[in-house]
Amino acid sequence: MTTLNISVEQAQGRVPVTVLGVEGDIDAATHKTLQDKASEVIEAGSTHILLDLGGVEYMGSAGFRAIHAIANMLNDEPSPGLAKSGYLKLLNPTDAVARVIKTLGFDVYLDIYQDREDAVSSF
Amino acid sequence: MEAPLTPMEYTIATLRKCVFLAGLDESVLAVMASKIEPLLIETGKTIVTKGDTGSTMYIIIAGVAKVHDDGVTLATLKSGDVFGEMAVLDSEVRSASVTTECESLLLCISRDVFYDALSTEPGAFKAVIHSVLQGKRGLISEIKARSLRLLSYQKEMEIGRRIQADFLPKSVPDLEGWEIASCFEAARDVAGDFYDVFRLTSSSHLAIVIGDVCDKGVGAALFMTLFRSLIRASSLYGCIGSTLVDAGSETAANSAEGVLMNSMHTTNRYIATTHAGSSMFASVFFGLLDTQTGEMSYVNAGHEAPIIFRKNGKTEMLAITGGVAGLFPAANFEVETTTLNKGDLIFTYSDGVNEAKNTAGHQFGEERILKAATPEGDDVENFLCSMLDAIHRFRGDADQSDDITMLALKYLELDETG
Repeated sequence: MTTLNISVEQAQGRVPVTVLGVEGDIDAATHKTLQDKASEVIEAGSTHILLDLGGVEYMGSAGFRAIHAIANMLNDEPSPGLAKSGYLKLLNPTDAVARVIKTLGFDVYLDIYQDREDAVSSF
Repeated sequence: MEAPLTPMEYTIATLRKCVFLAGLDESVLAVMASKIEPLLIETGKTIVTKGDTGSTMYIIIAGVAKVHDDGVTLATLKSGDVFGEMAVLDSEVRSASVTTECESLLLCISRDVFYDALSTEPGAFKAVIHSVLQGKRGLISEIKARSLRLLSYQKEMEIGRRIQADFLPKSVPDLEGWEIASCFEAARDVAGDFYDVFRLTSSSHLAIVIGDVCDKGVGAALFMTLFRSLIRASSLYGCIGSTLVDAGSETAANSAEGVLMNSMHTTNRYIATTHAGSSMFASVFFGLLDTQTGEMSYVNAGHEAPIIFRKNGKTEMLAITGGVAGLFPAANFEVETTTLNKGDLIFTYSDGVNEAKNTAGHQFGEERILKAATPEGDDVENFLCSMLDAIHRFRGDADQSDDITMLALKYLELDETG
């Protein structure tokens, strides 16, 4: 069974940002691990999350559903007029994952950064 | 007031409560009780490990233990319950593990103690055989009951599949100058592919829809019916009041572009807000084809790019024009246009086609689709049959893991229309 390792770090931009470093495949078997970890840091007070996908070689539809659920958890009052989430951003997706992000159109809804400093200061 | 039980009497009473030993005479239980001592076991201790050969059975005097296998808890045992009893009868390996949930007091009976006690009374073996058979009969009736429940679930699932199939068109429209064919091959597990072909009432446009709801199972099937119905209803009957989106209102509401915009935005916004908590989405290709001119406006919301096989042998992919539908209320879907000329064929499909896997785990892929395509000469039905054959041949003995949905249209040349 595949496992997902998730590291949690705090970074300081204009606001405090929680960086979740994900390693492993995000699929039907592992997506709940990611969702649970995000839920845990949000409950502990995190309001802005940067998801570092540098260690993710594969992300299936379950992974994208988890990302959507995290974005929803962070947006207390979802604003239909706001296209992009200001609370969840993605960092450094691998080529394979970046391709699927683009195919599913997630880049339209979530900002994607290659550089961690840029990403943290963008919140 | 009765005198409290001596430890020996207490042990005998505990043994008697155990169904497995209940038929034994008092004298046999007394012999057994004289040779065993209660054992205090700490929390979280695995007493029996799956795969080990054991020769001891256990009775819980006080405490709780769970029977588990591969991380799944099969049963929770408490005071008076017995486990490992098969091990005193034969030498088979343990079929599951047992771990204490809290500090627990157990009686442990080894095979030697068990048989020594039984040999003191000629009728004892008969009593134990009777208990074992009783247990077996109970197990058989439990298995029977479970099988019946499973059969009823399977029947329900079958009914669900049939209802789901009703959400796919029973036939495709018969249009002069066009040939249309579809193919749907369901995977064993319920999945969420859908397609639709219908004429708009307000114009000469033909709607062509193919989509795939994320994930599999009953949830995907339910959302498939929702996506398909919303798309069809909003295209045929328009959009009501405030849900008419700004982007759509810039164009005439009943133009192809207006209908596409309204339908996609209504469907997306409805699911993304009403079912936000489900995080369910679908990739959708939705084209509106003017059957008089061959002009087609389309939205490709994160779906596998349909392929146009031109009469001159060239191919054209209708790449995505927006993200998947159902997640973000403010999603934007661009409308693109293309024109089909006489002799051209358009092929749309779901990922059950390009992601069909063979036993080696390789995917069918886009290249094999292009190679298997026979757009020239043959009719569209044959085109899809050849494609399906190619997928079957490629897949070999591997299981079909996803629905296969294909829809193809050909703009006939004059001599083909007869």
